[in-house]
Amino acid sequence: MNKGIIFCGVGGDGIITASNICALALMRASFDVKKSEVHGMSQRGGSVNAFLVFGKKVYSFLPAKGSLNYMFASEKLEALRNVDYLNPDSKLLVNDRIVPIVGANIDEVQIEENLKSYSLDLKLVNFNDVAKQHNMQKAVNTIMLGYFSKIIEIDKKYFIRAISDNLSPKLIDINIEAFEIGFNLQ
Amino acid sequence: MRKIISGNEAIAIGAYRANASFASGYPGTPSSEILEYTKTFEDIKVQWASNEKSAFEQALGSSIAGRRSFVTMKHVGLNVAADSLMSSSYTGVNAGFVVVVADDPGMHSSQNEQDTRLFAKFAQVPILEPSDAKEAMGFMQYAFSLSEEYDTPVILRSTTRVSHTQELVYFDMHKLGGTEDKLLAKNISKYVLVPKNALLRHKKLLERNTKLQKLTNETPLNRIEQGSLNVGIITSGVSYLYAKELLPEANFLKIGLSWPFPIDLAKEFTKNLEKVIVIEELEPYIEEQLKIAGINNVEGKKFFPQDGEFNLDIVEEGLVKASVLEKRHKKYFEVPKNLPERPPVLCPGCPHRPIFDILHSLKVYVTGDIGCYTLGAAPPLSSIHTTVCMGASISMGYGIAKASQNHKIVSVIGDSTFLHTGIQPLIDAYVNNVAYTVIILDNSITAMTGGQPDAVSGFNIKNEPAPKVDLENLVRSIGIKRVFKVDQYNYKKTKEIIEQEINTKELSVIIATRPCVLAPIKIKETPYFVIADKCIDCKRCLRIGCPAIGYKESKAYIIEDLCTGCALCAEVCPTLAIVKGESNE
Ligand SMILES: Cc1ncc(C[n+]2csc(CCOP(=O)(O)OP(=O)(O)O)c2C)c(N)n1
Ligand code: SF4
Ligand code: SF4
Repeated sequence: MNKGIIFCGVGGDGIITASNICALALMRASFDVKKSEVHGMSQRGGSVNAFLVFGKKVYSFLPAKGSLNYMFASEKLEALRNVDYLNPDSKLLVNDRIVPIVGANIDEVQIEENLKSYSLDLKLVNFNDVAKQHNMQKAVNTIMLGYFSKIIEIDKKYFIRAISDNLSPKLIDINIEAFEIGFNLQ
Repeated sequence: MRKIISGNEAIAIGAYRANASFASGYPGTPSSEILEYTKTFEDIKVQWASNEKSAFEQALGSSIAGRRSFVTMKHVGLNVAADSLMSSSYTGVNAGFVVVVADDPGMHSSQNEQDTRLFAKFAQVPILEPSDAKEAMGFMQYAFSLSEEYDTPVILRSTTRVSHTQELVYFDMHKLGGTEDKLLAKNISKYVLVPKNALLRHKKLLERNTKLQKLTNETPLNRIEQGSLNVGIITSGVSYLYAKELLPEANFLKIGLSWPFPIDLAKEFTKNLEKVIVIEELEPYIEEQLKIAGINNVEGKKFFPQDGEFNLDIVEEGLVKASVLEKRHKKYFEVPKNLPERPPVLCPGCPHRPIFDILHSLKVYVTGDIGCYTLGAAPPLSSIHTTVCMGASISMGYGIAKASQNHKIVSVIGDSTFLHTGIQPLIDAYVNNVAYTVIILDNSITAMTGGQPDAVSGFNIKNEPAPKVDLENLVRSIGIKRVFKVDQYNYKKTKEIIEQEINTKELSVIIATRPCVLAPIKIKETPYFVIADKCIDCKRCLRIGCPAIGYKESKAYIIEDLCTGCALCAEVCPTLAIVKGESNE
């Protein structure tokens, strides 16, 4: 059976890079992989999402509503915006933060309540705080990926290789360190 | 090689393997990355042109010089290059010439969702429609031989999903053998389209069509896949993948070469089938071809929308409506209604923001153009009143200024857009004495599409230093007297000049010179912060629409990580509550 992941967040916050690393890791783990995303207007701080489908053989890359197994969300409102892709068995990792919207009032409490009301397997962690503690503000998503690798049950060695192969040399060490921090987070 | 690649990267690799040696284009989502990938191949001369027509003709020239060449653009770019397309269909080519056009169903980043297949039919040039990255590579490679064999430009049509989807592809980087460069073609009767020659070329074109008609019915690009159901599906592009995933047991006629349409093959395919369904994004192109040919047991748009982008849910719904599929996917959760939308906004520190804040306060009528600055139309800045297509700001401003002389009209246009199609209308405005104000937002980059260099950037697609056009000299050379340069981070001075010029009864051009904060280099200076005690809750700073400014408990606050230190909020704050430095919280 193919499995699907949705990555969602706010334009410019690195969600596309995170999905790229994840795709490479899955390829290393010998899966067929298809990934779809939209560049353009949405990158100027708008809502962004990317879909990743992996398995033995993948045809379509735009998954149906209700069909995805995992969510990787870098922001709570964006997680909520995409719940229709999930089903009762889905697992979610959500960065416990809200990014304000110009000219809109966001009721954080309400959003969190809503998110919890679906009784999904939801992990809500403030990865920005974790990153701050380790002075790694630039690698928030990689820390998150470290944690996420356990949720999707893909061996971390594939991620480490994906990071080493995909990022520019001066970023590799710090990102591997960040990945480990996330991986070891309880 | 085993690699995850996007459709756009695949197109570049296909061109490389086909021995292409020249590529030009004008940026436009979702096509821009094709040349970004192509530039990594040493043997291909790659450049950005200032518009699609120029790019098209450069590549056509290179083809006539005997080199396999291609040009890339987004769908609306082909409107700009339409003149070249229509007549190069008559001249034909020397070495292979491929026109890569990326459509944007769903308008993720476009002003319309026109369907390039109709252009192919109009210009009578073959069009190839890959479904995924793997096909994109093969089709691109084949397009060059097709072009040479039939002496015609060939369109390769991608869509957002094909261009921006990444998948695992196995391939090698070997170039094809047997494609030597040719000599520069000197053939006046072929390449000089005076009526006498063009009449003959038109006859040639019709002969070519007859040959292509035969090809399209025989090529493996148009293939029948037998299934076990008494249902036929005729489809192309990404729609094929959705249909295949949903109803693999159906019979398929997969169209890869869609103009000329394989009518004989379609007759053969539909002959013994009870029900035939056409699944195609946007226009009912295939459906019309079938119905014109008298194939009547087909339906398409009866079940599927003619607008927007398809996805698995939409195709499933259509097949259910057509009674050939039972609903399989279940939606479990509803997204709460009334979630605040998160539209794109100008970056913190964007040099366009001060201009729109000023225009907003001056209450002028603004004709806009296409680029990041189109976001100046969105609240709270809300200060652009028209945006139609590239270059239209100056010409529409001209029309409005002539028609309603008691309104103050301002046209805003980016540097890349000005160079694309803004210069001619400005000349018109000058020679016809039209009095209004043109503001060129010169951030020295094509920002909207991802930061490609243009003719004022001073570097080229390969990041090498390049000559640059001096906009002020260019504008002055037209003869326009009132030309000003402003630095929009100097808010007061900029406002003064704009105010002065909109009250002048003459044509004036103001060039706003601050660079983009995102490309080519990220700019981040010391952030600002709000001294809470001084904030009187007037919300003036919120009206500039900077995403780095938040609001909580009746006070504005600044998100340090996001603020680039442009000082605009500090400039507009009436109580000087916003100052530079680290917040001491
Ligand atoms: C005919 C056409 N070609 C290409 C595009 C894609 N496109 C949209 S805006 C833009 C240029 C933006 O550059 P500029 O005018 O310098 O403004 P900036 O985004 O830098 O503010 C391009 C190429 C288009 N919409 N129409
Ligand atoms: S990318 Fe540049 S021009 Fe576009 S919104 Fe950001 S700062 Fe402004
Ligand atoms: S200085 Fe003010 S307007 Fe400029 S980026 Fe920072 S918060 Fe935004």
